[in-house]
Amino acid sequence: MSTEQYIDAFAQYLRNGDSTGIEIFCENSSHINRLAVYRNGFYKGCIDALSANFPMCEKKLGAERFREMARLYVDHFPPEQGTLVGYGINFPQFLENLFSDIELNDKESVELAEYQQITSDSYTNLVNIAQLDYAWLKSLMSADSNGTLTIENVTELLEQGIELTDLNVRLNPSVFLVQVYENAFSEWISLKTNNDDDLYETANVSFVMLWRIQGAVQARLLTLAEVALMQTLLGKSKPLSEAFEAALTIDENFDVSDAFTACLQNELLEIKIN
Amino acid sequence: MKVNNLHFPQRIHAGEHLGAGLSLKPEHLDEILALPLQQQSKNNLWFEVHTENFFVEGGPRLNYLSAIRENYHVSFHGVGGSLGSDHKSMTAHTKQVKALIDKFQPSLVSEHAVWSKSQGKYFADLLPLPRTQDALQSLIDGIDCYQTGIGRSILIENPSNYLDFISDMDEPQFLVEAAKRSGCGLLIDINNIYISSKNTGIDALNYLKQIPSDLVGEIHIAGHDEDPTLGQSLLIDSHAAAVATPVWKLLEQALELFGHVPVLVERDANIPSFDELMSERKTAQNYLDQCEIKSSSDLSFTEVMR
Repeated sequence: MSTEQYIDAFAQYLRNGDSTGIEIFCENSSHINRLAVYRNGFYKGCIDALSANFPMCEKKLGAERFREMARLYVDHFPPEQGTLVGYGINFPQFLENLFSDIELNDKESVELAEYQQITSDSYTNLVNIAQLDYAWLKSLMSADSNGTLTIENVTELLEQGIELTDLNVRLNPSVFLVQVYENAFSEWISLKTNNDDDLYETANVSFVMLWRIQGAVQARLLTLAEVALMQTLLGKSKPLSEAFEAALTIDENFDVSDAFTACLQNELLEIKIN
Repeated sequence: MKVNNLHFPQRIHAGEHLGAGLSLKPEHLDEILALPLQQQSKNNLWFEVHTENFFVEGGPRLNYLSAIRENYHVSFHGVGGSLGSDHKSMTAHTKQVKALIDKFQPSLVSEHAVWSKSQGKYFADLLPLPRTQDALQSLIDGIDCYQTGIGRSILIENPSNYLDFISDMDEPQFLVEAAKRSGCGLLIDINNIYISSKNTGIDALNYLKQIPSDLVGEIHIAGHDEDPTLGQSLLIDSHAAAVATPVWKLLEQALELFGHVPVLVERDANIPSFDELMSERKTAQNYLDQCEIKSSSDLSFTEVMR
């Protein structure tokens, strides 16, 4: 029999626990139960990675419940790259679909129905918290900025008589915008800081911006005008004037000067410097 | 028999200047950077990382590796290359490995003689190959693909075995043949051999004796655990405990056979203090030093006899 057949049979066992196909490749039938070491290793590796990538999600659910959900995720979406860094890109979506349209077998449906009944509170905000966890990870691992626009650059440009509003800038690669409920964001922060003093009660939907400065990821809620400004500069270079206009269209009292200073202080903007 | 072309520099012994090294753990970064450099350089301390953990675009993870690399040699040890299967996706993988190699210039690059991918799914474990001619060719093709992708030769590591699969040859034969036909070297994991000997009844010393010393570019030692259900009858390659006494003994025998080869003390779970790891590393270095003394005294004896 070929290596391909062996690997197919082994993969089948790893995916669903059915050892029938791989048993014919084992030399000692009394050792077949040892195959479990490999299956356990596969699940453990994937679940540990999800635990590392969704730490606040795990904290909210508790380790045991999180690992059971993570295991279901591995069943449906095993990794496809030869690395577990960043594994779980659609874990938030998986959580959202968990009780609705995902195709689950009967046993899984019963287990999940039990969870849902017993712990419905645990699921409030869970999808948003998973989205924030993943955005935090993406920001942490994103490319370093090439050509951060600094206060020193701005001073030099002003000295050269360049009109700042004509500058083509974009947000640095570590900036991510995530749309979540405000109370989900405050819960995520409280899980991160172990402090629930400032939990919001409101269930408004807002944008959270995450970005990396000095190796650490920051996060904060944006106003609608700030969202308009950031979205204009996300992923593509645009004149500052265009971003300011987008913000002023939403809020005519928006202070572009303050916003620009905050962008500089937080190293949010990139400029191509020749 | 298909023989693969060598069109990359062979670097089997690129680490011969290295002493005993340690797995690099982020929690130890500050302590490593605070080490007195002169002393560590004299001791040939070096660090190994799992290559795929650095498949990131930027940020602190790469920065801390840069900080280490400024003062120490590093080795890249791949765990996700799947040399034994699914070679179609290898190019994307090796592209990332090569970018890291170009940036950090590791002394050694290694992978495992296993499979971990099938039909586009990654099983995140080091899965054994059957030791058949067909699997051997698949492994050789995978090594060739990997080496071509990164532009240099690699070392391949022997797996730890929990049970035996059908085979046409024993493991040393399988690995040596793969190395000779692909131009790669071998990374001999002493703990894996010890585990395999206990789990499947092979003779560990006889295994080592079948490996030509000129193919060996690195040695790994690590801790293992008993299976929680099956106990001593099944040892698990956990990397979560201190190196066991019989593994140290086997290391000593391996060094007698292979001569000076860089030795890595691996630890991936249940991470102890940096001091504790450095103490294990010192034991490994002592074995290397004894090996040096023994080989130089053997040399002197030969000269006297002449």
